[in-house]
Amino acid sequence: MIEQLHLLILAIILFGVGLYAILGKRNVIKILMGIEIMTIAVNVAFIALGTELGATPADSIFVKFAQIFPLISLAVGAAVIAVGLAIVINNYRHTKGVDSDEMSTLKR
Amino acid sequence: MSLVASYILMILAIVAAIFALESKNLMVSVISLIAMNFFVWGVLLTYGALLIAWIQLIVYGGGFTALFIVVVALTEKQKDETFELWRTILAVVAVVVIVGLLIFAVTQSGITNIVGTVSEPSEIFSLLWEERTTDVILQGVIFFVASVAIGTLFLQHNRKKAKEEIKA
Repeated sequence: MIEQLHLLILAIILFGVGLYAILGKRNVIKILMGIEIMTIAVNVAFIALGTELGATPADSIFVKFAQIFPLISLAVGAAVIAVGLAIVINNYRHTKGVDSDEMSTLKR
Repeated sequence: MSLVASYILMILAIVAAIFALESKNLMVSVISLIAMNFFVWGVLLTYGALLIAWIQLIVYGGGFTALFIVVVALTEKQKDETFELWRTILAVVAVVVIVGLLIFAVTQSGITNIVGTVSEPSEIFSLLWEERTTDVILQGVIFFVASVAIGTLFLQHNRKKAKEEIKA
């Protein structure tokens, strides 16, 4: 038997790890990894909350419809990371670095 | 047994995520990210969320890690040399406070819903076959191989260019 609570706590901890990357890291690649981890955490939370509760615990199931929302989130997250990585490469060509503090402007 | 396995997978996913961010070598970070995606895939699979488990593995575990590898190889910054103690301490404090508050809120909200039984591996494979998810998996494999192949070609092209420049 699984409780929703455990999946939600997993999602919160993963979200925290991703947030740590955004707040504490200066390497842009690691920041993007953090964003990816946060997106996965949100998807897990979606899955945890998208359950159809039955009369007995055995009847409760993960609804397929609830898995469609993470699917959209996944697609948007994928686009975000693709654009982010493109910006990293473009910035690297100009500054020869991946430090977020040096990325004060994108215009060169 | 599967319940214990799913809890172990959860812990491993968190550890892999932390290792991905804390590793100095960026290639090791990317490999840890792949490991994290595999562990999350395992968690979702044992809970019976088959569709999102496979698509998550295909998109994030496959295609995007390949992209990350290409970017790390292209930027030639294999080591993460950016570290600031005060920033890390501030980030850890902020994250601990936020995560603590969220976990407190969730545990106090009174959610005690039991979702259902954990799927056994044999059930998962029969479900995969019945729902033709195998097609999606094969597409994912093709996508992953294509991403790696394009990345390799790109790298080879760059190396050739660099060699030609040196010769010139």
